[in-house]
Amino acid sequence: MIEEVFNVNLPVNETLTLRRNRFSPEDISTSTKRISIVTGTHGDEIEGQYVCYLLAKWLNANKHCIKGIVDIYPAMNPMGIDSITRGFPFYDVDLNRNFPGNTSDFLPSQVANAIVDTVRGSDFAIDIHASNIFLRELPQVRISRSTADELIPLAEKLDIEFIWVHDAVTVLESTFAHAMNSIGTKTLVVEMGVGMRITKEYGQSLTKGILNLLAHVGIIERAVLPTTKTTVSNLHSEVFFVNASKSGIFIPILEHNVTVLKGEKLGEIIDPLSGRILETLISPCNGLLFTIREYPVVYEGSLLARILEDPKEDTAL
Amino acid sequence: MKEEVLFEISSLSRNPLKVKGFRFGREGTTPSCVIVGPMMGTAIDQLWIASQLVRFLRQHELANAAFVKGEILVIPTVNPYSFNMGKNFWPLDNTDIDVMFPGYDKGETTQRIAARLFEKTNNYDYAILLEARKDHVECIPYVEVLESGMNYIEDARAFGLDFIHVKEETPNDTVSLTYNWNVWNAKAFSLISGKKGILHKHEANKVFDAIVRFLVKKELIDFSTFEGSHGNLVMPNDIEAIKSSAAGLFDTLANIGDSVVHGQPLARIFNSLDGTLIQTIISPCDGIISCRYDYSLIFQNAIAYRIVKVESAQNTL
Ligand SMILES: [Zn+2]
Repeated sequence: MIEEVFNVNLPVNETLTLRRNRFSPEDISTSTKRISIVTGTHGDEIEGQYVCYLLAKWLNANKHCIKGIVDIYPAMNPMGIDSITRGFPFYDVDLNRNFPGNTSDFLPSQVANAIVDTVRGSDFAIDIHASNIFLRELPQVRISRSTADELIPLAEKLDIEFIWVHDAVTVLESTFAHAMNSIGTKTLVVEMGVGMRITKEYGQSLTKGILNLLAHVGIIERAVLPTTKTTVSNLHSEVFFVNASKSGIFIPILEHNVTVLKGEKLGEIIDPLSGRILETLISPCNGLLFTIREYPVVYEGSLLARILEDPKEDTAL
Repeated sequence: MKEEVLFEISSLSRNPLKVKGFRFGREGTTPSCVIVGPMMGTAIDQLWIASQLVRFLRQHELANAAFVKGEILVIPTVNPYSFNMGKNFWPLDNTDIDVMFPGYDKGETTQRIAARLFEKTNNYDYAILLEARKDHVECIPYVEVLESGMNYIEDARAFGLDFIHVKEETPNDTVSLTYNWNVWNAKAFSLISGKKGILHKHEANKVFDAIVRFLVKKELIDFSTFEGSHGNLVMPNDIEAIKSSAAGLFDTLANIGDSVVHGQPLARIFNSLDGTLIQTIISPCDGIISCRYDYSLIFQNAIAYRIVKVESAQNTL
């Protein structure tokens, strides 16, 4: 059932509406589990749109399997999505830095507050992001170290390529995921693909993973499949960042999702004016190339690649 | 005066971004004060204030070599690139430099800018940041001190501005320049005023005078000025945020700095298609308008005015 969860009037003959599609079983009790699938907070990230579609399509076709509540929210930032605007249009702020929001603050903060209010009470939530227009990401779940014990077992059910456990950062306390985790909704952040594009295989694979998670927690009735893909970055492996030290045009040599060796060439920064190579980027470690620069123009400092180092063998015991 | 290029960032096709500093007095002596101009490329008032300050200090130092008693460093802006495009934030990725502190010299471009700026500015007794508000408002000049700076709130009175706002800290503040100056034991102040994109000389000159007054009171310059205001402390709860209940054309009836009384009409909102008067915004309290929404089309539930309530006057000791 499609429901409106928030409405606000815009100045010229338009209402901004947040919508969700709710799938629920015939009878609901207090023990009925509920999950919210949320995406479209950053208007330039479109990968989640396809996942929402595939999921809703599956649920439409398999109503008899639905034992819990599935809420799908494809567009948390409707004006942003419809205009390739990452932030909240007009206010030019990142909606995902304005949680939990506040009813007496500016509109983005009110929208954040409305999202928290409507998702509140869900047992689980999955917040799907698509990196940005600059970087292409292998599908991954990002988890703050402070919630790792609770969330890793759940994330593993998504059968996703990679779970990145990162250190807690204070500024990330203003994200949707942090706001929901702190009020008891176990919330996973998925990053995959690249901004402004849909990577069909990722969408299909994440949808399968979400259905698997739903089966695991009893929201749909379906066999739980064994998971095969996941590696977890934890104390035994490190993520290396490769940033540009020159400004220019980045030409990658490797595709992402490949294993690289220390010293292997990742790409070059070239200068179109002089015809010279300004910098050759080299892998700092052996590992999985899970992030690669997609947008060619770079400044000094621009992130070009991230590599998950192979687990160190000498860390046993 | 010594004019220095504090650091540079190169670019693919533009000339390098050069961040200039103007140093007065003797480097490494005390008392010392750094004044940093706007990081947002539309904060024109702040650019005016900073550049006028350089002019003032240069002229007086030329006439009297002992004019500056300690050391003063003025950095009019770190973001010429955005100023030259009429853009708020960093041209390539739209990131706000003021959420990147203390910065990271091996990180993204704006983290590097933050790191280099911070390294050049974290060793002063007093640190002043000139800011325009990031939201769509214009406001009277005020001093802002973070909660963690309450121990030196008395120093804020040296500016002689009417209002000293104490800002409740949120996770977002931990990455701001003033917060990080605080952490490094500078007495850090934000001077906030005006409206983005336009020079309000009247308001800007009040801020200029306030800085000169501060430099006099803190014995940084050999000069005399008129006494300013004693300064009213404004705590977060002392501000009444007045929201629109309708969206449409915004016809303002009251100005920033106006004293208003309970029941006074502040603005009217008209339907933007048929011209119907849909709301008259009425002041719910007695006080002074500190901020006003600055765009002639208003959203529903937008904050139209902020009023410092008269009942807060008791805070002033
Ligand atoms: Zn995102």
